[in-house]
Amino acid sequence: MKFEKTQRTPLVELSPESCLIKGECYPENIAEWSGPVLESLKQTMVEADSEFKVDIELYYFNSSSAKFLFDFFEFLEGSSEEGKKIRINWRYRAEDDTMQEAGEDFQEDITACEFNLVIVEYPSEEQG
Amino acid sequence: MERRKDTLGLHTFMQDRKTLFCYSGPLTEDLLTTISNPVRHQLTDGETQETVSKRVFGVFIEQAQNIIRYSTQKTKSTGDSIGTIAISVAEDGFLIEAVNLIDETKKDVLEATLVELSVADQKALRQMYKQRLRDGPPNDSEGAGLGFIEMARRVKRFEFNFVEGQEGALFVYRGWVS
Repeated sequence: MKFEKTQRTPLVELSPESCLIKGECYPENIAEWSGPVLESLKQTMVEADSEFKVDIELYYFNSSSAKFLFDFFEFLEGSSEEGKKIRINWRYRAEDDTMQEAGEDFQEDITACEFNLVIVEYPSEEQG
Repeated sequence: MERRKDTLGLHTFMQDRKTLFCYSGPLTEDLLTTISNPVRHQLTDGETQETVSKRVFGVFIEQAQNIIRYSTQKTKSTGDSIGTIAISVAEDGFLIEAVNLIDETKKDVLEATLVELSVADQKALRQMYKQRLRDGPPNDSEGAGLGFIEMARRVKRFEFNFVEGQEGALFVYRGWVS
């Protein structure tokens, strides 16, 4: 399952072993966009492998989208408590203190999943 | 010359105050999508640190969405929200300004919230943001209720005031990013 990236929403790729979210997230209507994404994630998780990897690499997200990420992690925590082994990589660029702080804040609340803060190196043009 | 026809005056005024971008009129999410590009373009001039331009962009988006959601001045035909939003070069960074009419009955709550945010340090703001995220939005919020906390985290300082006008209370916001 794939949700193509748009100017205001990230790429989302779901498979039985992984989930990738990459780009920017400040949609016109967060519920309209996140509803189908969370629904797909739930369906994917039913058939997912016992080990599941999540890569999130956001360049920017607005405050409405923070709620989506919160719900997203909450669902993953639930799945993890039910027995899935979930590894989340929160990827951000070294100089991006905003995304680093955001990752640290989510990390504090995540106990069942493995949550890693991962620094990525890019030339500055290659983003999202 | 009549002030409203002073085209050169407009140009000089905008140049003198170093305003890079200004929009005043009906604002919609569609329009915000469109203007995001030129705004970002203005902020990526090669001289501005990327972390700074990201903070400016973040404040700009939150404040534009505040206008879209909460401005009580609407166009007659489509009911779109009207407001003004601008980005200027100021001090050692940027100034983000916004003006829109607000619901008079929400003024006191907004004022109390903003006063609380204006005196909070970064650590407290971070904690407030997390708490709001866990608690969910307040009843009268159309977003996540996080917008003003997010803005307060991204600015070096901000000011606001309310101006009583003929049509109601105008909310005036100024945030400095550097």
